[in-house]
Amino acid sequence: MPKLSGFFDSFDNLDTIDAASLTAWLKNPPALVQLENYLANRILYPQALPVTDFDMKIDLAILREALRINGPKPETKEGLLLGGNPFLNIVLRKVVIPQKFLNYVPDLVSLTWAFVDGLLLNRKKQDLFEDLWTVVVSGDTDEIVGSIILPQFEGLGDNMLLSVLSKDYKITAGSLTVIPCSKDRCEIAYKFKKGQILGKSTNALEIYGGKLGLMIDGRMQ
Amino acid sequence: MKFSAPLRLRVEKDICIRIHRNLKGKGTINALLGQEVIPSDIIGTAAQSGGFRMINLAKALQVVPSKVQKYMKRTMGQRIYKDELLAYKDGGFLRGKVVVVSSSDGILDFLNPKTGELRITFLPKKTELPAGVYGIVERVDQQKGFVIIRTQANIVYGVFGTGRVRDGMLHIISKRDELVDQSFISPKSDGQVLVGGSIVFKDAITSAISAGISGMITGGINAKDYKNMAGGRLIFPKRMENDIGISVIACEGFGPIPIGDDIYEILKRFDGKYVSIDGNAGIINLPSFESSSLKKVRSTRLPPIQDGGLATSDQQSNQIIDLSLDLKVRIIGNSYAGEQGKIMAIDQSKTVLPSGLKTFMATIETRRRKVQIPVANIEVIL
Repeated sequence: MPKLSGFFDSFDNLDTIDAASLTAWLKNPPALVQLENYLANRILYPQALPVTDFDMKIDLAILREALRINGPKPETKEGLLLGGNPFLNIVLRKVVIPQKFLNYVPDLVSLTWAFVDGLLLNRKKQDLFEDLWTVVVSGDTDEIVGSIILPQFEGLGDNMLLSVLSKDYKITAGSLTVIPCSKDRCEIAYKFKKGQILGKSTNALEIYGGKLGLMIDGRMQ
Repeated sequence: MKFSAPLRLRVEKDICIRIHRNLKGKGTINALLGQEVIPSDIIGTAAQSGGFRMINLAKALQVVPSKVQKYMKRTMGQRIYKDELLAYKDGGFLRGKVVVVSSSDGILDFLNPKTGELRITFLPKKTELPAGVYGIVERVDQQKGFVIIRTQANIVYGVFGTGRVRDGMLHIISKRDELVDQSFISPKSDGQVLVGGSIVFKDAITSAISAGISGMITGGINAKDYKNMAGGRLIFPKRMENDIGISVIACEGFGPIPIGDDIYEILKRFDGKYVSIDGNAGIINLPSFESSSLKKVRSTRLPPIQDGGLATSDQQSNQIIDLSLDLKVRIIGNSYAGEQGKIMAIDQSKTVLPSGLKTFMATIETRRRKVQIPVANIEVIL
């Protein structure tokens, strides 16, 4: 069967995704049988582009699940080069987004959230350094586009005061926040009442910025 | 700017192929190597075993199992026909007489003295094997009971399917866009290849298996049902051969998608004609029903027969081709899936889709409307 390359060519096990798991990522999900058929047609015609906004949302839900099932497994971490996964470099704490994915999801923020949901959400942290990840878009060359911060809140009512380039933000537990910072290096300072990042409740540091900026995932694990 | 799209071969017309004709059961092939055959020629006969039936005579006669033989009116090994007397017991003081008749034609095969159960083996049915096609016999295998005939046919390539090679009379059971459930399936269609509508549901497939239907051709099928039939995976092209007792071919994709005009029109022409269907390869062979086709069959030579598979004169196309105006295309993807039409225009600048993607669009004129579709969502069809 002739095929042009497409978004989902990067995965050869999309058929192992349970369509029911996609509903968690969709507002007003369609009937399960429709999701199953949508997924199967994406496997059959990986080069096809989503036309409607809702189709794009389903594609992103599929991507989240594809990343989740293809992400590094805790039991395989030891002994595998850089975690044995093309999308998550555990040693260097990098989230690697293939450049070609942007041809199919041009919104870098949505695409990165899909990577966060698929690879980092519910991931058991091996050490406190996994509170901070650098986002790299990888094509002919690698481009650092920003950072992901995973604050450790103790309770749902907690919050963190964050200062980015001298501008203050209040990050509450359970929230998802994107803060622009187009500089290569961004100076940040944070302060928790109850919680921590990199093992400290108060700190100031420099992290990578770029066209994505900073993404703060305040969801509790 | 040049754009390209995959080329999908859907219908190949008037080409020479080989088809298998198999005896249903043990028997003899009457055809000779090199013999020219017409569809009504009987090329073999077979005796088809029909199974058996168990009757608990001890229970029917209300006697202990060891005494059953005493009341039987036929001896073991004897032939018996439906409604003939099988066993009889006189009535007593409080009980009436008991008469047991045979419920089917068969041979009294075995009586179990411990349970009083009698096994009646059905009489073997004699079945004749018609050639089904105009063609020339290329191989006769008496031992395995099959004949290979070179014939002229149209070939339809589905998108995917499952099930081994089967054949039968083609029967269109619905419009091309109807949803086919079990109410469309009749036991009278035994041995036929049914053409369904935009989707065939699981209950229809189950009923079709029970009714002994050879195959089903449909526009779409639910992914879950296909997965269950195809070994639990969705891998294209298929790497494994599966069979669940019926061959199913989907011509368009997953979900309800009407059978494309190109395929439906040719299938309509073969309604009531002999066809063969290879589910695992997704191929439907429609042998010519015109005697004039023999002329081409006589003058055509095919590559040598390879064991384990039938060579066709042409294999499915596997190309990417440049797009141009007036090319016939089929829409893939979730919007307007399966619609066919001609390319009217291809934009030279990108358009932002509601999904946020920026891409080149093509204008396609279908039978009912003009639609704009991303160039990535079309494939050229032949």
